[in-house]
Amino acid sequence: MSNALLEVEDLRVAFAAGGREVRAVDGVSYQVDPGKTLAIIGESGSGKTVGCRAIMGLLPDNTAVSGSARLRGSELIGLSDAELRKHRGQDMAMVFQDPARSLNPTMKIGSQITEAVRAHRKVDRKEARAQAVELLRLVRIPAPERRFSEYPHQLSGGMRQRVMIAIALACRPKLLIADEATTALDVTTQAQIMELLLELQAELDMALILISHDLGLAASYADEVVVMYAGKIVEQAQAKRLFGTGGTVRMRYTRALLDAIPHLDRTAHTELPVVTGRPPDPTALPVGCSFAPRCPSAADDCLAKSPVLAEHAPGHSWACWHPCEKGTEA
Amino acid sequence: MVQEFVVRERGGVRAGVVQAVSGVSFDIMPGETLGIVGETGSGKSTLARAVLQAPRPKSGSVVFRNTELTALRGRRLLEARQHMQFVWQDPFGSLDPKWQVRSIVEEPLIAYHVGSGATRHKRADELLDLVGLDPARYGKRHPRELSGGQAQRVAIARAVALEPSLLICDEAVSSLDVLIQAQVLNLFERLRRELGLSYLFIAHDLALVKQVSDRVGVMYLGKFCEVGPGEAVYKQPLHPYTKALLDSIPSTEPGAARASSTIKGEPPSPIHPPSGCRFRTRCPRATALCAEQVPQPRELAAGHLVACHFPLTEPAPSQSAAVPAPVQG
Amino acid sequence: MAARLPDMTTLLAPGAQPLPSLLSARRLKNQKLARTLRFWVPAGLLIALFFMCFIWPHIYSIPPGNTGSILAAQEPPFSPGHWLGTDPDGVDIFSMLVYGGQVAFEVGFSVTAIGMVIGGLIGLAAGYFGGWADSILSRLIDVLIAFPALVLVLAVAEVLQPSEIHLIWALSVFSVPAFSRVTRGSTLVVREQPYIVAARLSGTSSWRIILKHVLPNVIPGIVTFSLLGIGVVVILEGAVDFLGLGIQQPEPSWGAMIAKGQTVLTAQPEYVLIPSIVLLIFVMSLNLFGDALRERWGVR
Repeated sequence: MSNALLEVEDLRVAFAAGGREVRAVDGVSYQVDPGKTLAIIGESGSGKTVGCRAIMGLLPDNTAVSGSARLRGSELIGLSDAELRKHRGQDMAMVFQDPARSLNPTMKIGSQITEAVRAHRKVDRKEARAQAVELLRLVRIPAPERRFSEYPHQLSGGMRQRVMIAIALACRPKLLIADEATTALDVTTQAQIMELLLELQAELDMALILISHDLGLAASYADEVVVMYAGKIVEQAQAKRLFGTGGTVRMRYTRALLDAIPHLDRTAHTELPVVTGRPPDPTALPVGCSFAPRCPSAADDCLAKSPVLAEHAPGHSWACWHPCEKGTEA
Repeated sequence: MVQEFVVRERGGVRAGVVQAVSGVSFDIMPGETLGIVGETGSGKSTLARAVLQAPRPKSGSVVFRNTELTALRGRRLLEARQHMQFVWQDPFGSLDPKWQVRSIVEEPLIAYHVGSGATRHKRADELLDLVGLDPARYGKRHPRELSGGQAQRVAIARAVALEPSLLICDEAVSSLDVLIQAQVLNLFERLRRELGLSYLFIAHDLALVKQVSDRVGVMYLGKFCEVGPGEAVYKQPLHPYTKALLDSIPSTEPGAARASSTIKGEPPSPIHPPSGCRFRTRCPRATALCAEQVPQPRELAAGHLVACHFPLTEPAPSQSAAVPAPVQG
Repeated sequence: MAARLPDMTTLLAPGAQPLPSLLSARRLKNQKLARTLRFWVPAGLLIALFFMCFIWPHIYSIPPGNTGSILAAQEPPFSPGHWLGTDPDGVDIFSMLVYGGQVAFEVGFSVTAIGMVIGGLIGLAAGYFGGWADSILSRLIDVLIAFPALVLVLAVAEVLQPSEIHLIWALSVFSVPAFSRVTRGSTLVVREQPYIVAARLSGTSSWRIILKHVLPNVIPGIVTFSLLGIGVVVILEGAVDFLGLGIQQPEPSWGAMIAKGQTVLTAQPEYVLIPSIVLLIFVMSLNLFGDALRERWGVR
C-alpha cells in the first residue's frame, strides 16, 4: 500500500432507475502505480466507466458511492465538489470518448485550453496563451500557433482528441484516465493517439488508466489489466501474464471475450465460439456468479455461490470456480 | 448471375464538390461476400447507398441480376431492387419505435403483396425463428424493449423477408458489444449457408471484415487501393495503406509486435483530394510520380488488384523517406 | 472518509459481506410518488375545471351568468345562493366563472384543434415531400406568422361582429402556422431516420409511410405542444375579452370579468383576483400536464 499513486478499495456505486436500485459497481479494488498503465476492460454495463467517474466525482447527484479511492494518500470519495475541483486537473484528469461533444463548438480551442490552465494556475492571459501553445506542441499538433485560434469543427477527429488531451494535461496531472478515448477514432488515428499517450506518459511520468472494451488495446499498451463484468472484477493480472507468450486467460468470461473477437489469422467463414444470452439485468443480479447463466462451463456451484476474486497465481487473480486450464491457447 | 457495379458519385458540399466515391468498380458473384474496409471519409457508406440507389449515383452503372438499376425509377426500381436489402449500423434507428416487432418484419411482405394476411403472419413468425427470436415472446414487443443484439436480429429478419440475393451490411455489428457481435456474425454466416446470400459487408474493423469475407476491398478517400482475396490482402498486402492499417491494429496474440502508426499526418480534406494518388501525402513511399499520375488498378496476382505506383512487392523507391522495405504482411 | 449519503456505510472490509443497500427504499418510493403526482395533479385540476364548467350546471342549477338583480348587487362571498358573491350588477360571480370557463374551453380547444389538423397536415406535407411544395407552403406560413395575432383579431372584430365564432377563426390564423412549423420540424427529423429509409426499401408507398411511420412518431411532440398552445389561446382570448372585442357583454368571460373588476380593484380586489386565479390554474395545469406527458412519452 506504499507508493501506489491511486488505490481503489471496495468501490461501490449504485443509483436508482425506474424505481429500482442498479448496482453499477459492486466492490472493485485495484491499484495504479506511478508511471504505469492500467487497462480496465469490459463491455457496456460492466461498470468500468461509472467506477472511474465516481473517483473523479463526475456522477450525478442521485448516485450513492461507497468505498475508498486514495490518490497519493488523500481520500477522494465523499469530498465535496469544491474540494474535488482542486484535485481535478491538478492531480488527475479524464479524456472522454467523443471529442466532438466534449469540446465547446462555439469556443476557439485555444480558449478552451487557456480556460483549463487558468482554472488551476494564477497566470495572466499572455502566459496562459503561451502555455496553451506549448500544450498543443506537446500533443504534436502541427502549427500550434495557428490552431490556437481555430474552432473544433475545423479539426479532424484525431486532432480534436489531441486537443482534449492537451486540456487534460494543462496542469501536468499525475494520473490520466482515458475513457474509451480512441473508440470513436479510425484505427490508424488510434495508433497515433496511443503512441502519443505513451510518449507523454514517459515525458511527464504520468500514470494512465485505459478504459475500453478492446482487449487488443489492453494487450498492446497496458502493464496491468482488470476485466469487469456486471460491476465486479472477474480477472486481474499483469498484461504479460494474460497475453504474453505462455500467458493464459483463466476466467471464462475473459476467455469468451478473446474467442469472440475476430482475429486476423482466423480463416473466413468460421463460426465464432459464441456465448448466448445477454449481460444480466443490473437491477436483478443472479445469486451465484453473474456470468454463470451464459457460461458454457457453468456447474451447479457456479449458480449457487458467487466466486470471490482471489490471487490464485502470483500476480494473477480471478473469480471463477472452474477456470480455464493453464496453457489454453490465447 | 453477376452483379456489377461501376459507380462514380458526387456530392455537394458548401465549399466545393466532394467526390465521395470516385470511379469505383467491382463485382460480386452469387454466394460471395465482398468486404469493404475503410476509415472515415473513405466513402464506403456512400458507396453502399449508391449501390442501393438511395440516393442514385451521379454517374456509373449498377447492374443487379442483369438489370441496370440506375436507369429505373419509381415502381420499377422497387421491383428490381426487391432482392437487394440493407442492414444499418444503428439497430434502433432502423426500426420504427412505434411499431411492433412482428409488423416490422411483415412490412416488406405487405408492400410487395406477398401472400395473404394469415400467410404473412406465419411467414413473419418463421423469420423471427430464423434469426433466433421466439415469435411468441418477441412478436408483440416494441424496439425499446429489445437489446441492441435483438433489435439487429429484427432488422435482419426484415431484410431477409423477401428472400433477397444480396444483403448490404453497413457497419451492421459495429455498435454491438463483442459477445453479441459474435452472435450476430454467426447468424449472418448461418443465413449465408442456408439462404445462399451474397453480402456486401462494410466495416472499419479489418479483422471483422476478413472474418466474414471471401474478397476484401480497401478504400481510401473514395477510391479502391487494393482488392483481392481476403487471405492474400491480409497476408501479403500490396498497398502501403493496407499495410499501415494492418500495422495499426492492436493484437492480443502473444509476442505480437506492438501496434504502431506507420502512417503520417491527417487524412486530407475530401474537398481537395491530393493530385495523383490520393494517399501520397501520408505514404512513406511517395515520390514525384505519385503526385502526377493517378495510379490505375493493376492485377499483380490472381484476382488481386492494386492501385499503386510502387506496390509492396517492390523495394521502396529511392527518393522516399528512409523506410525499410516491408518485412512481413 | 464519509461516503456521500448519510445513510450509507463507509469503508467496508475488503471482499467481505454482501452489499448493503446503498439506496433507501424510501428514497426510491418517493421518486416514484413524485412522478405520479406530477402527472395526476395537473390532470386532476383540468378534470375538475372541466367538470365545474360543463357538468356542474346540469347537476345543480346556478344563477344565470349574464343577468342579475340590482337588489343582489355586491354580495360578499359565501352569501346564501351566491357562494362566491355577486358583482356590482348583481350577477353571480360563480356563474360568470362557469360560463366564462365554457367559453375558454371552447375557444381554447377549437382553435388548437383547427391548428393541429390543418397546420399539422400542411407541416407533414411540407416536411416529408420537401422540394417546391415545401417552399411554397413555408412561405405561406411565414406570411401568416408575420401577422401579429392580436392586431389581426382586433381587425376582425372591427370588420365582423365580435363573437365567439369569429374569435375562433381569427385565433386560428395564429395557431395554424404555429402547428405547421412544429409539425414540419418534427417531420424533417423523422424523415431522416433509418427506419423511414428502411420502409422505403421495403417497398412501402409514400402515403403509407406518412400515415403509419411519420405520423405516429410526430404526434407525441404535437400533442405536448398543443397543450401549451391551449394555454396561450386561452390567455389571448382573455386579453381580447378584456379589451371588449371578443365575447360581448353581457355574455360572461374571464377577461371581461377582469376588465369590469379593475375599476374597483383596490376596494374589492376579489372581482379581479377570482377570475385571474382560475385562469392561472387553468393555464398552469395545462403546462404542467404537458410537461408530465412529455416526461412520460420521452419527447425531447
